[in-house]
Amino acid sequence: MSDIMLKVSLQELCVQEGITETMVIEVVEHGIAEPFAGQDVNDWMFELNSVHWMKKAIRLYHDLDIDWVSIAIVIDLLKQKDLLLRENARLRNQLDRFVSDVADLH
Amino acid sequence: MEFKDYYKLLGVEPDADGKTIKAAYRKLARKYHPDVNPEAGAEDKFKEVAEAYEVLKNAERRAEYDELRRYGGQREQGFEQPRGRQGSASGSGDFEGDFADFFSSAFGNRGSRSSGFQGYSDFQQSAARGQDVEVELPVFLEDIISDVQKPIEYRIPAYVNGQVTEVKKSLKVKIPKGVSDGGRVRLKGQGAPGQGDAPNGDLYLHIRIVPHPIFDVEGHNLLITVPITPWEAVLGAKVQLPTLTGKINLSVPANSQSGQKLRIKGKGLPMKNGMGDLYAIFKIVIPEHTNEESKALWQSLSEVSAFDPRTEWEKPNV
Repeated sequence: MSDIMLKVSLQELCVQEGITETMVIEVVEHGIAEPFAGQDVNDWMFELNSVHWMKKAIRLYHDLDIDWVSIAIVIDLLKQKDLLLRENARLRNQLDRFVSDVADLH
Repeated sequence: MEFKDYYKLLGVEPDADGKTIKAAYRKLARKYHPDVNPEAGAEDKFKEVAEAYEVLKNAERRAEYDELRRYGGQREQGFEQPRGRQGSASGSGDFEGDFADFFSSAFGNRGSRSSGFQGYSDFQQSAARGQDVEVELPVFLEDIISDVQKPIEYRIPAYVNGQVTEVKKSLKVKIPKGVSDGGRVRLKGQGAPGQGDAPNGDLYLHIRIVPHPIFDVEGHNLLITVPITPWEAVLGAKVQLPTLTGKINLSVPANSQSGQKLRIKGKGLPMKNGMGDLYAIFKIVIPEHTNEESKALWQSLSEVSAFDPRTEWEKPNV
């Protein structure tokens, strides 16, 4: 059984993704992801959901050749979409417990 | 192997200039990028488009491809490599395969860094370290509160004789305390194997809570719909309420409304520190069949009660 981890350090992230610190700083400055710990850049730690969005952002940056501001907007919308889809599914579930089948008016 | 027409894939003429090719690629990449298009097949389409662009954006590589294309175009079926151009990995050049195989056979093994093309390395930047693998992990609510290790099975890409293939891997994972729906867990080194001495990639598990027959999940809180009779709602009652860890006694307050919530502290899901709460939501249920005696009682109730639940409708602005 291997170690279960809930965070990634800046250094690990750079090695994993083959990216530079400057790129991570860029992503953080554009509000795409934020470190949850670390005052100094070198001590930054990221939660896994942050890492997920950061990876997406970096892929989009490489593949679509668009600037960081546009990527930040795309990521923000994707996050919102994700949240809404989940909330919608949850509310639908809850609603189904309350409402019954439609009866026609005779 | 089927010949792949990169120009057709990008929807450009074979004599298109670099600018046109770039514009066509950008348009298609935005449409099919798997990070923005979740539809099945989008990722494959994006990979095809990206590969086509990888070749056509570079003048030298494009010239080589054009030469191959002239050759492949003459023989629609059963494209084989011209002699002397066999990639180091392919060996025979007539293996069956998908698009990536065509690319490797025409331009050398995708996974190796020994490819002779300049500027190709950005396309395979993390070839040495194993790829990270992300897997959705459906878990039952019961799994979250138990200490049982959950078995998971997933597939990782692996290189066998220079070819990319997939192998099955299985593991047992204990869901860490505090992880809830949509959370992620990282297992170091459990992703795709690295090449040579390079480290393995990691495995990222995306936790998805399977809908439960009685409980709904809201963050670390649980919700339960409690069906009650009209008289229980009016008079109050004691009911047995299921929780994830066993039954408890719940007092339904007198004059409870349908949809009213009651919080039961600490009976939700585990958090990093402490426990979430359980919310009981009342739902007033009318019996499907009413006998004569009950009907008579309802009748007398309707005669003594002056209650009108539709007073809101009487306001002039409605």
